[in-house]
Order: sequence, then structure tokens, then C-alpha cells
Amino acid sequence: MSNTASAALARHGTSYARFLWKAVRDATDGSAWFYAWMILLTSLALVGLHAWAVQVRDGLVVTGMSDHVSWGLYIANFTFMVGLAAGGVMMVIPAYLYHDHEMHDLTIVGELLAVAAIVMSLCFVVVDMGRPERFWHLIPGIGRFNWPFSMLTWDVIVLNGYLALNLHICGYLLYMRFLGRKPSPRWYLPFVYLSIFWAISIHTVTAFLYSGLGGRPLWNTALLAPRFLVTAFIAGPALIVVLLFVLRRLGGVPIGPKPVQVLVNIVRVTLLINLLMVASELFTELYSGGSHTASGHYLFFGLDGAHALVPWIWSAVGMGVVSALMFLRPGVVARPVWLTVACALAFAGIWIEKGMGLIVPAFIPSTLHEIVEYSPSLVEWQIMAGIWAFGLLVLTVALKIALPILRQPHGEETAATSDCVVTEQPKARATHA
Amino acid sequence: MSFSGEMKRRTPIYALFAVLALAAAGGQWMLTRARPAAADHSTVVARIAVPASKAEVPSNRPPGYRPQVATGVVDYHGNAAGVACMTCHSTRTPNLKNGIAGVVPKDFHQGLAYAHGGQSCLSCHHADDYGSLRLADGRKAAFSEAQLLCAQCHGPQTRDYLHGSHGGMNGYWDKTKGARTRNTCTDCHDPHAPAYPQWTPVFAPRDGGARQQATREAAHAETPNASHHD
Amino acid sequence: MIETPAQNPEPANEGGMTRRTALKALGATLGAAAFAQAIAPLTEWTDNLTIDEYLQKHYKEMSPVDMAMVIARLQTETKEETGVDVHIGDYRPQPGVKFGYALNLSVCVGCRRCAKACHIENNHDRPSGNSYIRVLEMQKGSLDLAKGRVNYDHAVPDKEKFYMPVQCQQCDKPPCVSVCPVEATWKEKDGIVVVDYNWCIGCRYCEAACPYHARRFNWTKPQVPAAEINPDQGYLSNRLRPQGVMEKCTFCLHRSRQGKLPACLEACPTGARVFGNLLDPESEIRWVLQNKRVFVLKEDVGTQPSFFYFFDE
Repeated sequence: MSNTASAALARHGTSYARFLWKAVRDATDGSAWFYAWMILLTSLALVGLHAWAVQVRDGLVVTGMSDHVSWGLYIANFTFMVGLAAGGVMMVIPAYLYHDHEMHDLTIVGELLAVAAIVMSLCFVVVDMGRPERFWHLIPGIGRFNWPFSMLTWDVIVLNGYLALNLHICGYLLYMRFLGRKPSPRWYLPFVYLSIFWAISIHTVTAFLYSGLGGRPLWNTALLAPRFLVTAFIAGPALIVVLLFVLRRLGGVPIGPKPVQVLVNIVRVTLLINLLMVASELFTELYSGGSHTASGHYLFFGLDGAHALVPWIWSAVGMGVVSALMFLRPGVVARPVWLTVACALAFAGIWIEKGMGLIVPAFIPSTLHEIVEYSPSLVEWQIMAGIWAFGLLVLTVALKIALPILRQPHGEETAATSDCVVTEQPKARATHA
Repeated sequence: MSFSGEMKRRTPIYALFAVLALAAAGGQWMLTRARPAAADHSTVVARIAVPASKAEVPSNRPPGYRPQVATGVVDYHGNAAGVACMTCHSTRTPNLKNGIAGVVPKDFHQGLAYAHGGQSCLSCHHADDYGSLRLADGRKAAFSEAQLLCAQCHGPQTRDYLHGSHGGMNGYWDKTKGARTRNTCTDCHDPHAPAYPQWTPVFAPRDGGARQQATREAAHAETPNASHHD
Repeated sequence: MIETPAQNPEPANEGGMTRRTALKALGATLGAAAFAQAIAPLTEWTDNLTIDEYLQKHYKEMSPVDMAMVIARLQTETKEETGVDVHIGDYRPQPGVKFGYALNLSVCVGCRRCAKACHIENNHDRPSGNSYIRVLEMQKGSLDLAKGRVNYDHAVPDKEKFYMPVQCQQCDKPPCVSVCPVEATWKEKDGIVVVDYNWCIGCRYCEAACPYHARRFNWTKPQVPAAEINPDQGYLSNRLRPQGVMEKCTFCLHRSRQGKLPACLEACPTGARVFGNLLDPESEIRWVLQNKRVFVLKEDVGTQPSFFYFFDE
């Protein structure tokens, strides 16, 4: 290594360590409300951790799953989380492809959401495994990685790649901000453009996990990947809108109406497309009939006296319709309460529809047409709560660390907002955000 | 236009015809080559043939076995004393009508369940020698060869049995590695009432899914007027 | 409100320790204690996990020496846990053999003795009554599985029904093999689809992929009373499986690869089951395929099963 390169490495080594330490301090410092929130999340996470430890010890018999319904709440949440991660990229497209500068500085919110969502989806996969300690069997070269035949291997690649991508982008931007330097486009722009396509790929691959199974007619439809993408682009932007409101209110981040408007415009369209897709599924069930529509029949109307999911799916459809109407209202951006409710409805509706409304009914009736219903056990709910809490922990910490970037309005760099520069580094060069 | 001029003008057409003819011939040749040889079924037919040796079907009686009626009395050696069939039957004239339409004599052979196609008893039992069985052409067959009688009428079942798809087996699928034991017909089918009896099923499924279905089926059965969702 | 340190100055120092720092340290300690308490059940689980077992290679990568050591370890573990001396064989596919199985639906009476024999032969978990075979009572005149029932409790056969046992079809295009992310399941040369129980990560993707409900997952550690353990075991078949891994019918390869009939066939009182080598033109299974009108389940899914069904009439 050349002198300059090794010197740069040494410098970055120490300053990166300082950056990480500052991140830790930022993450553990705040108001009483912040501590209350973090303690609540930590407690929930520990409850979930304990439940998982019990599950590892006693086996997955502590869940409500069976040989008939062998995937349940965990994979339902996993699917939803991957969608959320893909939806996080929705801000990137207008910001970078269409040079919306107001959106530009807020894209980090979507990217950090993607990081938290991917972490959660990976957690959900790990808790679903019967032998989690055997994860090393998946590592190519050390284990046996059945790529390209198993769609799960594709999923492992794209999910971890997406995580790495977003960690790099966010980490680089935050680190540059910490150093008080302008981020160099070649270190993050290509990755940002890559993340747009990669986001589409993570959810398409996840959809292919299910749609490639000929023995599960509810999943074996070409419409599955498009449905996944559309629902991702409902849930993601809906959550980001709420996050923006939170950041504006609690984080003192100046956010104008334009970024929210962009997201609202996206959700207006995707909500309607999703309703159309649901209608399309319903038509196919009702019109063609036959035994391969049994799962859809069970989901929407019940089958032979079993109807546990019927209220769920129609609630999801109702939430979708109501939130679509709410979103379509002109001037909705100026009504944060209305909009938050609409976002919550859309988010919850998609969670039901994609999670319990898609994963579980594909197993009912079973492949031998036995109707065995599923309801999650307490352990499953606890683990789910724990992972959600952990994900929110990650997101809170990440957003808190990113606050300095977010608070800094586009084009302005003042001493007040660049607090880290004043205390940690020698005088920064004049920068332009 | 001169003849050679015509030829020149039409050469492409002649060439095209020639190519097409060649292609057709070539295709025809290829088709004859590509068609697989017709399956040779002659050996299959040979394998369905009736066994040459009666020994292929095991017996549940030792050779030379002649049945006896149990008297419930033991002789002075301690062996159960039995009465040979001919002891009684030699005193009576064989009645060909016995057994027809399932009617057995009111006296003797009490408690015999007889439901075998409504045939006379003497279809299978030999009228001249009640200690032997009777083949369809009148020849005698030993009781240890009872399965031959079954095979006379129940050809498909016999064929299936000989090819392993009726009657089960124990032991080895690979006869070069070990022996195989089979039941004979009368091990499972009572020759007088051969209809296969009903069984009580064992090992009811008791996994959660089966139990859930049982509960739902029971609830459904109790309320027959409940609205159906299908 | 989320505040930055600049807007919320720390209270006056007292010997370097602020109240905030003290509270944080207390919180961290409590958190660590809570964390340890939360994961305490894990310490009860790792009892069965040895380094050898953890680092064990995939079946296909093991040399005969590796295999012998693994088998010795497994036999010792079984002896320690149950007191039973078991023999685990590594039975390999025989050349020139491809197994086929046929089931005579005119002869099956639905007595479920095959399911019971499977349960005993394969050392299945006793409380759940697990078995690889599921017998469906079907309506005559219809092959619609939706009209089938597993919970029949009356004398069989019922005149209006026929009975269809279903087990792993050992497909020639097994969807379960394609989806396994770690190649813990694969199709062997004699047609049997096997699972390496020490490699499976328990993701249950194969169970989702199977169109025949053939796969079983060990939701907990299977319990078999020591006196009922079948000691003639195969590494890839009926040895005592661990918790959290997948398993399935293996056509009793610990028997069939030695030329013996599977347990389900031997238990069938009516002889509805036919098993043998599809590559042997003289075999019973070949005769059935050539002379009976056989069909397979869910043929349209394209799995090409090695398990055939037929009626006599």
C-alpha cells in the first residue's frame, strides 16, 4: 500500500471509530420520552427473546403451526417486512431519478427504514428455522448453497445485498456528515441507482419463492409478484409519511408538504391497483371454481364450516377501500391527522392481506385437501412483538443518528446544525450539502 | 421467346420443385428412421399364462391332508378323535341340490355359513370321495390343492396373485437376496363364504389436524341445517 | 421532543460521574441482567449439541471414515439417551435398481395397518401418532381429494367408499429437492428422495413445496419408549431424528436396499401394495404398470411420481 493510502486508512480508522462512538452516544441520549420509548421497546424485545429461547429449547411445537399449516405468523411478517424494505426505496426514485431536491435529503429516511425492515425480515426467518444454529449451512463454499435452483438462495443473496447496499449508502452519508465533508457522488450515487433496481428484485424474488410452487394453487399465479410490488409500494410510503410527520414533530426536522405529496401521489395509485388485483383474484375464484380455487374460497368465504380468516381478509379489503378513498381526497396533505389515519389503515390492511391473508390460506386446504386451520400461539405473538420492537429500536437509533443530516435544510450548513464538526474535528472546509 | 430463354426464366421454379421433392423424400426417410420400434408384446402375453406348477401357489395344508370332523373327544393316545367325511357320506346318496341358492341341509353341517355364488356343495366337493375336492371337469383334487379350485373361476384374482398384486407377501422383494412367504387363497377367504370380511381400522390419526377436522365434522353433523359456505 | 446534547447541557459534574451517566449505567446493567434471564432457556437446549455434531459435513461430502465416525457417535448417543443398542447402517443404492410402488385401490380396505407399521418401523413420535402414510376414505366415483376423509371410524370397507393411502411419491421431478436452500434433501440413484437430518436447517420450504403432504417436520424431539425402538436403523431413514428437522417416507430404505419389502407392504393384510425394481422387467411392479391401468396423483403438477395407483376393475 502506498504511503498516502495507508495514511488515509489510518486516519479513517480512528475517525470511523469516533463516528461509531458518537453514534452510540446519540443513540443513548435524549429526553425522558425518548428513554421511555427505548425502555418500552427493549422490554418488548426481551420478552420476544425469551419466547424465542423457549421455542429453541422446546421446538416449534410451541407455535400454532402443524404439518398442515407449516408456515404462519413468522413467514407472514417476513413477507410483509421485505415489502416494507422494498417500499423504502420509493423516495429514492423521485429524488435521484427526477432530481427532486427537497426529497433528496429525506431519502435517508427510506433507506434507514429499509435497513430496519431487512433486519426484521432476517430476524423473522431465523426464528422460523427449526435449527437456527445451522445457518452456516447456507454460506456458499462452507455449507452447500443450492443456488440457482432454490429461490430461497436467491432471497438470501438479494436480501443481504440490499442490506449491505443501504448500510453502505446511509453509513457513508452519515460518516461524511460527521467528518463535515461533502459526500463524493461516486461513493454513493451508483449504489443509490442500484438500490432502486435491487429493491424491485428483493420483492420479486420473495414473490417467486411462493409463486413457483405448483402444489399451492393460491400462490401459483403470475399475479403474485406484481401484487407484492404494489403492496410494498403502499405500505412503504404509508409508513414513511408517518415517519416524516414524527420527524417533523418530534425531531424538529423541517419538512415541507412536497415530499409528503409525492408519497401520497404514489399511494393513491398503488392502493387502487391493489384493489383491482384483489378483485381480479376474486373473479378468478368465483368464475372458474374447481378445486384449485379452494384456498381462495376458504380465505374469502370459508370452506366446509371453517371460516377463521374471512373476517380478516374482508377487514383488509375494507381498510384498503377506506384508505383509498381517504387518500384520494384533495388536499389530504394539509390534514396530517386524516392522512395519518389513512396511512395506518393502508399499512394495517396490507399487513393482513399479505401476511395472514396470503401465507396462511395457501396451506388451507392442505395438499390432500384437509382443512386444518391455524391460529398463532402466544409464543408466536410474543416473538413477533419482540422483533417489531427490535426493528423499531433499530429504526429509532438510526433516525436519531441521522437527525443532523435531516435537520439541515438543503443548501445550508451552519455551525448550529453541524454540532459534530465543532466538537470533534478541526474547522471544516466550506461545504455544500 | 426462345425455348432456352424459357428454360432460363423457369430455372428457379424447377430448382424449387427439385428442392421440395428432395425435402419431402428426406423427411419421409427421417420419419421412418425416427419412429421407434413397436413394443414387443409377445413376451408380455406369455407372462400372464397360468402357472405350470401348482407349487407356485403355496398351500396351507400338508400334502395328503384329508379333512375330519371334530368330535370333541380324544382317543386313548390323547389325540383329538375325528370322523372322516366318508364315514357319514358313504351312507347317503349325494344330493346335488344341496347348497344351491345358499340353502344348506337343516340337519348336519350346522352353523356353516355358506355364501359362495349359490352353487351346489358338490360343485367343489367330490361326490364319490368327500375327502377330496372336485375340479370343474370332475377330476379329484386334494384338499392341499384347494387354491386350484379358486383359480378355476377366479382367473383375474389368480393372475393378480401370481404377479404380486393380490394377497400380499412377507420377506424380500429381491428374491435373489432372500425368501418370500405368501398366503394361500383360503388363508384370507373362507371357501364357504369367501367375501372378504370387514375390518376395524386401527391407528386412527391423532395429530392436531385430524383432531381439528373431527371436531369440525362433529359440530357440522350436529347442526345439519347450518349454512354451508361452499 | 428529541433533544441534542447541545440543547440539553449535562448537569454539574461530581467527580466525573453525572446522574445521567449513573442512570445509564444502571439501565445497562439491568438490561444485561434481563437479557441473560431472557435467553436462559437456551442453556437447557445446548445439552445435545457437540462440536462434532455442529461441524458435521453434508452426507455427500463424508468419506467412509467420516461416516463410520458419525454412525459410531450416533449409536453411542442413542445408547446414552435410551439405553438401547441400535445398529445404524449407511445403506447405499444398489446398481440397476429404481424403486416403484403401486397400490391396488380395489383391494385396499382402509384398515390403516400400513400407517401403523410405518409408525413402528420408523421410530415415529408416539404421542402424536406420526406416520408417513395418511389413508383417505374416498367417495366411489370420484378422485376428488376434497371429498376424502381421514377420520373414519367405522368397519371398513364401506360399500360406497374406496381407500387411498398417500405417502411420499418419490417423484422423479421432486419440487422439495429444488427448493431446499442447503441441499439437505436430494434424490438418490435408486429413486428414493432422502433427507440428511444432520444438515437440514428446518426452514420447511420443502414442506410447503410438496404437493402430496408427504413431509413431516419434527416440531419437537420425537419420543419413543426405549422398549419400542426399532434397532435396525438407517442413517438416511429411520434412526432417531433430532428436533427441528424434516423427515419423510424413504420406502424403508434400510430394508429395501437390502432386498426386503417395506414395512407398510408387509403389514397390508389384503396385499394391496406392490413394490419392486422398475428396471427389472420380471418384477411385479413392472407387471402392474404394464397390465393394469395405473394412474398417479396430481399428474398435472408434473412431479412424475414413482408411486402408482390402480383399480382392478
